[in-house]
Amino acid sequence: MGHHDRPYYASKETLWKTIWSWIYTVDHKKIGVMYLCAVLLMFFLGGVFAMALRAELWEPITNVTKQVQAEVQATDDAGRLVYENGAEVLVPVLNDDETPVLDADGEPKVEPKKNDAGQKVNAEGEPLGDPVMTPEVDADGNPVYEEVIEREGELFKGWTSESGTVNSNNVYNRLFSLHGTIMVFLFIIPAIPAALGNIFLPIMLGAKDVAFPKLNLGSWYIYIIGGLFAVYSLIAGGVETGWTFYTPYSTSTNWGSVTSMVLAAFILGFSSIFTGMNFIVTVHKLRVPGMGWFDMPLFIWALYATSIIQVLATPVVGITLLMLVFERTLGIGIFDPALGGDPVLYQHFFWFYSHPAVYIMILPGFGIVSELIAVHSHKRLFGYRAIAFSSIGIAAVSFLIWGHHMFTSESPSANVVFSALTFLVGLPTAIKVFNWTSSLYKASISWTTPMLYAAFFIFCFTIGGLTGPPLATLATDIHLHDTYFVVAHFHYVMMGGTVLAFLGGLHHWWPKFTGKMYNENWARLASILVFIGFNITFFTQFFLGTQGMPRRYATYVPEFELLHKISTFGSWVLAIAFLMHAVVFAFSLAGGRRAPRNPWGGLTLEWYADSPPVEHNFSHEPLLTHGPYDYDLVVPPGWDPADYPLPDPEAVARAHGH
Amino acid sequence: MASLSTHIVTLGAENLSWWERFWFRESGSTFADSTDAVYNYIFWVSAIFFIPIVGMVIGFGIKYRRSKVGEVAEVSPSHNTALELSWSVTPAILMAIMFFWGFKAYLSKLVAPVDAEPIYVTAYQWGWNFDYADGYSTNEFEEIAANPESPIIPVQVGKPYKMIMTSRDVIHSFYVPAFRIKRDIFPNRYTVLWFETTDRITHYFDEDDKSVVAIDPDRPGYYLFCAEYCGDQHSQMAGRIATLSPEDYNKWLEARKDTSGINLIELGELVARKNGCFQCHSVDGSAKQGPTWENLYGSEVPGWSPSAAVAEGATPGVAERGYIVESILYPNEYARPGFAIGQMSSFLGQIEGRELDAVVFYIKSLSGDFAAQAEQEAAAELEQQLSETEGDG
Repeated sequence: MGHHDRPYYASKETLWKTIWSWIYTVDHKKIGVMYLCAVLLMFFLGGVFAMALRAELWEPITNVTKQVQAEVQATDDAGRLVYENGAEVLVPVLNDDETPVLDADGEPKVEPKKNDAGQKVNAEGEPLGDPVMTPEVDADGNPVYEEVIEREGELFKGWTSESGTVNSNNVYNRLFSLHGTIMVFLFIIPAIPAALGNIFLPIMLGAKDVAFPKLNLGSWYIYIIGGLFAVYSLIAGGVETGWTFYTPYSTSTNWGSVTSMVLAAFILGFSSIFTGMNFIVTVHKLRVPGMGWFDMPLFIWALYATSIIQVLATPVVGITLLMLVFERTLGIGIFDPALGGDPVLYQHFFWFYSHPAVYIMILPGFGIVSELIAVHSHKRLFGYRAIAFSSIGIAAVSFLIWGHHMFTSESPSANVVFSALTFLVGLPTAIKVFNWTSSLYKASISWTTPMLYAAFFIFCFTIGGLTGPPLATLATDIHLHDTYFVVAHFHYVMMGGTVLAFLGGLHHWWPKFTGKMYNENWARLASILVFIGFNITFFTQFFLGTQGMPRRYATYVPEFELLHKISTFGSWVLAIAFLMHAVVFAFSLAGGRRAPRNPWGGLTLEWYADSPPVEHNFSHEPLLTHGPYDYDLVVPPGWDPADYPLPDPEAVARAHGH
Repeated sequence: MASLSTHIVTLGAENLSWWERFWFRESGSTFADSTDAVYNYIFWVSAIFFIPIVGMVIGFGIKYRRSKVGEVAEVSPSHNTALELSWSVTPAILMAIMFFWGFKAYLSKLVAPVDAEPIYVTAYQWGWNFDYADGYSTNEFEEIAANPESPIIPVQVGKPYKMIMTSRDVIHSFYVPAFRIKRDIFPNRYTVLWFETTDRITHYFDEDDKSVVAIDPDRPGYYLFCAEYCGDQHSQMAGRIATLSPEDYNKWLEARKDTSGINLIELGELVARKNGCFQCHSVDGSAKQGPTWENLYGSEVPGWSPSAAVAEGATPGVAERGYIVESILYPNEYARPGFAIGQMSSFLGQIEGRELDAVVFYIKSLSGDFAAQAEQEAAAELEQQLSETEGDG
C-alpha cells in the first residue's frame, strides 16, 4: 500500500510532522475539516449565548415594593456608634492652642477619633471598618418597617456597565449582540460552503483539489484572524450594538469593543470572497472530463450560486464596515447625523450586502437537501433543471430586495418598489419546495438521520418561507417589523433551514470524511429532539410577534410572560438534543464501525472515493458514466446488483420521455 | 401562577373574535382591521399550501418507506411541464394579490388627513416627550416594564392625530401594537405617523386628582413601545396611549396648562421626570450614568468655573444655581471627575423660565443642608405667585 493510498488525514512519522501537515496543508479536505472544527466551536459559543439570553427572558423585570424591617447603626451603652472593630472613641475637639472647644451649653465638644487618613479608629488605632447594623425599634420597642422597592426578575443582578448603569439590561444586550454576530459571521456564513463545501465540492466534481489550493489555505487563516478579532472583542467587554451595527448607536456608544468586532466582520468578509472565487473557478475549470453543467450535483449548483453572491456582495459590506470604523476612530461623518452623515445610508449599504448574505446562508442548505432527498430515497429528483436554475434565480433576485429590511425607515416610494420585488424571490423558493416534495413520490425512502433532517427541513423551511409574505406585504410588515415575528421567521429560515440542512449534511457525509459510521438510532433520537425543541422555541415567537412584542428587549410587559416561558423551555430541549448529537459523534470517532465506501447508495462521485478519501481524492481518475441522480439506470457503486434490482429500461425511457 | 392568569385576561378581552385572540391584540385604531384582514388572507393562503406539502412528506414517507434491502424506487416521470407551470403561476397570482392588498392598506397608514391634530414627539435614550399643539406636554406617568417614568399620552377618542417625530440622540421607533403602526425616529430629521383610535374610551379624567384614570384596570389603553434597538434601557422605553371622551380630553388639556399653582419643588420633579432626567441621575445616591442629585447642591465641583452664559452671581467650584443651570443648558462645558463629557444632550430652549427655576429648587431640596431653605423659599414663591394672580384678577 503506497503513500497515495492512505487516508488524507493519516498521521506522519512524528507528531510534529503531523501537526505541520495540517497547518501547512493545501489539501481541501484538511482545510474543510479545520473549518468544520472552527464553525462547530463557534456554533457552540453562539449557542451558549442563546441559552443565556433565553434564560434572561424567563421572567420580566419588575419593581416590587416590599416592607422590610428598618435598620439603624448599633450603639453601645454609652451611646457610641459600633463598628466591626469595636465602638468609636470620642475625643475632645481642640482649638489651635490645644484648649477644648465648647458647644452652646458650655460643654466640651467631642468627635470620633480618626487616623491621618481620616478613617475612624478604635482605642488601639485600628480602622473601625463597616458599621454594625441592628433592627430599628420605636420608643415602645416595636420593630419599625420601611418600604423599599426591589427589582425582581433580573438574572444578571448587580452587573454594572462601563457607563455606570446598574441593571441586567446591558448584559442581555451583549448576549443577543454576540449571539447574532457569532452565529452570522463566524458560524452560518462559513458553515456549509467553507466546511462541507470545501471537503466535497472538488470530490463531487471529480477533481484532485480546488483551483487555487494556497488561496484556500489563505482564506482559512484570514478566517482565523477575523475570529481572533472577534474573540478579542468578546474578552474586552463584548458588543451591545446588535449584529447589524446600526448607526448612530454603534458610533455613539463608547464602551464595549465595537471597533474590533466590526473589523472582525470586515476581515471575515475576505475569507468569504476568497472561498467564493475559488469555488467559481473550480466549477468552471476542474469538472471531470464528460461532466457538463447539467451533470453536476445540485449541491454544486447551490455552492456555485452562493459563490457568485459572496464575490459580488461581500465587498460592499467590507467598504461599509470600514467607513464605520473610520467614523468611530477618526470622527469622519458618513453615517452619524451629528457629524453631518446619514444613518439611513448606512442601512442601505449594510442590507445591500446582508440581504444577499441571507442567501449565502440558505442556498447551500438547499443544495444539501437536494442531495439528501435523492440519495436517501434512491430517486431521480423531480425537475432537476428547475432546482438548478432557481438557485441562480434566487442569487440574481437577492440583489434587488435589500430595502425590505427598511420599511419603517426608508422612503414610502422605495417601500412600494421593494415590497413588489421581494415577492419575486418567493417563486423560485416555492418551486424548489414543490420539487423536493414531488421527488418523494414512488421513491424508496430510507429514514436515516439525514433523511429525517431533510423532512424536518421541508417542514421548518416552509414555515420560514410562508412567514415571509406577511413581512414583504407593506401593511402587515408595518405592524410586524422589528417584532418577534421577524425573529421567529428568520430562525425558521436560518436555523430550521440552514442549520437543519447542515446537520443533515454532516450526518450524510460523516462516514465519507471520517471513515466511521455513527450510531443511527441515537442520532435519529437526537434529530427528533432538535426538531421538537426548535419548534417549541420558535413557533411561540410568531404569536409574541403578532401580539406586538418588539425584538431585542431585555424585559417585557406581563402579557408576554407565558409565551416567553414556553420558548425558553424549548431552548433547553434544543440544548439537550445538540449535546446528544455531540456525544454520538464523539462515540463514532472513538469507536465507530468502519464506514463502507457507499453506505447510503449515492451515485455522485464522492461515493466512488474511499471512505475516507485518499490525499488526492481518487486512486484513479474517475470516469463519468451517468448523471448524478440516475437511480433508475445505475446500481450504486459498491452495492451488490442483487440488492438493487433495476427497473425495466424501456419503462424508464418512457417515463423520462426519451 | 400570576403570569398565566394575566395572560388569560388578555386573551379573554370580550370584544375580540377567537381568531383575533389567537393572533392579535385588540384593534385600537381605524386601520388595524384592514391590516389584520391582509394578514388573515396571507395566513389562509399559507395554510392551503403548507398542509398538502407536509401531508405529502408524511404520506409518501410512510407509503414509500424502504422496509428491506432490495426495494428500489418505482419509475415515475422526473419532469412535467403542465404541473410545474401550474405551481409557478398559482403562487404568483396569489402573491400579486398580497402585494396589491398590502399596498392599498399601507397607503391609508401613510397619508394623514388634513385636520389631524399634531403632537410633537421627541424620543431620547430612554424616554419620550410629547408636546401637544398648545405647547404643553403630557404630565402623566405610570410604571410599565419596571419603568415608572413611562408617559401616558391622552388622546381624544375618534380624532386623527399626527405624530411629528424626531430623536435627540440615536434611532428610535414609535410602535403601538394595537394600532398596527410603526415608524422610525431619526436625529436631525422629522418623520411623521398618524392614527385615529377606535371609539373605545379607555380613560376618564378625574377632576379631584387632576389626572387621567383607566376605566378598566385590566385593559388600560394601548402600549407604546420603542421598536428600534437604542441601548441599555431600550426595552423599558414604553408609554401608554389613553383615549378620552372629547369633554374629558378638553378638561385634561386645560388642567395640564396650569402649573402656576404647583410648588416649585414639586414642579421641578415633574419637569425632571418629563425630560427623562431620572434615566441617568438618581436622587438617592445610587450610581447611574450621570452624577446623583442627592446632596449635589452646595457640593464642591473641582475645577469648574462658570461659563459666560451663567457667570452672573455664580461661585466657581461650588454647585449652586449657576452650576446647575449651566449643566442643564450647556452640559458639555464641564463634567465632574469620574463622568464623561458628551453623555448628556442640551436642554437649551426646552427647559426655561419657572420650570428651570423649579429644577434648581428640586435639586436643592435633595441636599440635606439646603432642604429646609429650599422648602421655605419655594413656599414663599408660591404665595407671592398666588397673591399676584389674585391682584391681576
